[in-house]
Amino acid sequence: MKKLLKFISPLAPDDSGACSVLYELGGITVICDAGGCAGNVCGFDEPRWSTKKSALFSAGLRDMDAILGRDDRLVAKLATAQQQLGRSFTAVVGTPVPAVIATDYKALERMAEKRIGVPCVTVHTDGTKLYDKGEEEAYLKLFEKFVTEKQPTRKGTAALIGATPLNTGLTTADELISAVKAEGFSEVVCIGLDSGLEEIKDITRFEKIFVIAPSGVRAGKFLKEKFGLDVEAKNCPLPEKITEGLKAFSPEGKTLVIHQQYAANTVRDMLGGNAVCGTFFGLDEAAAREGDFHIKDEEDFAEKAKGFDTIIADISLKRALPDHAGKWIDLPHFAVSGRLY
Amino acid sequence: MTEAFYITAAELAAKGFENTPDELMSARHLIYSSPATLNFNSPGAKGFGVKRAGLAIPGSVMLLVAPGCCGRNTALLNELGYNERFFYLLLDDTDIVTGRHLTKIPKACKEVCDSLDYTPTAVMICITCVDALLGTDMERVCRKCEEATNVPTLPAYMYALTREKRLPPMAGVRRSVYGLLKPQKRRGDRCNILGYFAPLNDSSELYALLKSVGVATQELSRCDTIEDYHKLSQANFDLVINPEARYAAQDMEKRLGIPYIEINRFYRIDKIHNQYRLLGQALGVEFDDAEYYENAKQKTESFRERFGQLSFAIGENVNADSFELALALTGYGHKVSEIYGTVGERNFFFIKKLAELSPETRIFSNLSPTMLNYERKTHIDITVGSDALYYHPDLPNVPFDEEEQPFGYDMVEKLLAQLSAALEKEGK
Repeated sequence: MKKLLKFISPLAPDDSGACSVLYELGGITVICDAGGCAGNVCGFDEPRWSTKKSALFSAGLRDMDAILGRDDRLVAKLATAQQQLGRSFTAVVGTPVPAVIATDYKALERMAEKRIGVPCVTVHTDGTKLYDKGEEEAYLKLFEKFVTEKQPTRKGTAALIGATPLNTGLTTADELISAVKAEGFSEVVCIGLDSGLEEIKDITRFEKIFVIAPSGVRAGKFLKEKFGLDVEAKNCPLPEKITEGLKAFSPEGKTLVIHQQYAANTVRDMLGGNAVCGTFFGLDEAAAREGDFHIKDEEDFAEKAKGFDTIIADISLKRALPDHAGKWIDLPHFAVSGRLY
Repeated sequence: MTEAFYITAAELAAKGFENTPDELMSARHLIYSSPATLNFNSPGAKGFGVKRAGLAIPGSVMLLVAPGCCGRNTALLNELGYNERFFYLLLDDTDIVTGRHLTKIPKACKEVCDSLDYTPTAVMICITCVDALLGTDMERVCRKCEEATNVPTLPAYMYALTREKRLPPMAGVRRSVYGLLKPQKRRGDRCNILGYFAPLNDSSELYALLKSVGVATQELSRCDTIEDYHKLSQANFDLVINPEARYAAQDMEKRLGIPYIEINRFYRIDKIHNQYRLLGQALGVEFDDAEYYENAKQKTESFRERFGQLSFAIGENVNADSFELALALTGYGHKVSEIYGTVGERNFFFIKKLAELSPETRIFSNLSPTMLNYERKTHIDITVGSDALYYHPDLPNVPFDEEEQPFGYDMVEKLLAQLSAALEKEGK
């Protein structure tokens, strides 16, 4: 049956993705929920929660707030939090509750900006889609809201879009920065990872914009079209401990790599290009090769993974393929199992 | 930037519950799900949230019918061996608006049951805020599932939206897990202990005292098989030790004719003694708890002698009512500098008492956004509760939040023993 999961747990949802992008930007982020979604984000999908403080809150909605559509109360709570914390912007991230009652995010954004006096970003997530969709919208909204003009380009600088723990399995930017600096850049920043809102506002000063996950493609396209930036899709750098393990591996027979597409592409290239990439998340056709595929659900996964001798994927997915008799190499994906590298 | 909000016990008592500041009322501000609060501030979070609690019936499985975001953190329970008992029917954006998923649930239930190499004793259908808003008639859906599978099917309502209502999610799931019990001949020598999803510590004197008057105890969490589970309806009475189980007890009284008696968890040994006296009166017996009382009293005195007057910070992620525990520790000759807790109508009584004995005690709300700015401003020697540990990682801490539940004099002795061990480890 479609959409029935018998073997694997639900994958990281869109609201987690949006929060992941907003997490380090220094604003007040409100998950528009009753408490459960915030519990999932803070207690599971945000590995930085215990190491980096963030003003990420639950709206604490109750049934009558939802039934009566009391957006004014939410804005009042947000205004109080702003008085207490004094941040440079606010953000509202959607969940199933506002989706059911058809919350008007545009109106909410306007109300919040008028009452609080700082910019407000709303992300129309509903908890039914996957994290990459939430990241995609959050990146786009942030650049649309905060990037106003083209600044002079600084040579030797690069910015990475897509560097979230859900995409990379990393909670700090060091390894990603080192990997890109090794290519000759003197200054590298990861948007939203060890960096804040200033780097978003200043994105047009970077000589090169690397997109390291499909969730950054739309934002990259926006920056390219509106400001003429040099945007390039790039295989997602993987930590040394993963690449070392993979270097020692010689693929035999048909090999399938499953991850977010740009990380899967990295693994494929390391293996000499002889593998098929699959992903439960967004598939960027421009970065796909013939035979690469998107996986819709558990049933689809079982069907599409047939015939591969080796599977390189998060070990938690193995339960869904009880008949797979070949080799399995663990490639953790935080958005699947909640495991970091 | 505002400092973390607090109010002293004296100030709060003077204001009265009706005038509790907004910062202490979770419905009136944004909620900070800090690492301190994750274990309790979500109906599906760690410990026994609705999802895990719903599987208390031996041999049962759960079908979570919800958008993916609601089931995401269930993976945390995989480590505890639950992954073979959880199944998910994911809702899409059309489902959550139209409710069309309701017709798919019986089919999903059947597919789940058919995929197992055993017949589950029950299927728990867990639904979330979406169905709360859609007004789903889950009793009807469960009947349809039973028709499709021939397996008893019960609802588990993970409605975070209704957490402050008359039937919050954790009270509702307590009722659900006793829902399969059928009326049968009751036995005068048996009682059920209702309250938690893990048993009481074996060493609790409650067992021995009940046994001394010829009453054997039964607990859902000690039922290994469905046969054990069904014996619960043979009980002569239910002993409710957590108010969240009151609704389940009322339901059992109505459906099964089992009356209930409610008692509380106290850290003040005089109150424990008095409660056993009253329980004895209700049962028409007399409990001889003198030895337990004397032992516990002696332990509180020797702890005070050994370590002198200590200053405590008490959290709410602890097997206690934070305010009652503060009252007890104050009564045993210590100071309570800070409490991180949730003020409610029920525990306001303790706050008023605390205001008399320890007016300067600072009361914080874990859930206030201002806790992002918390800094220690008072003298604290030791903390109790895993949330208190988050604020004071440099101080000795006793989490006292184990799944097995402490109760009675035994609980007081256990806490003192753990406090002693934590202090000794620090060379005190």
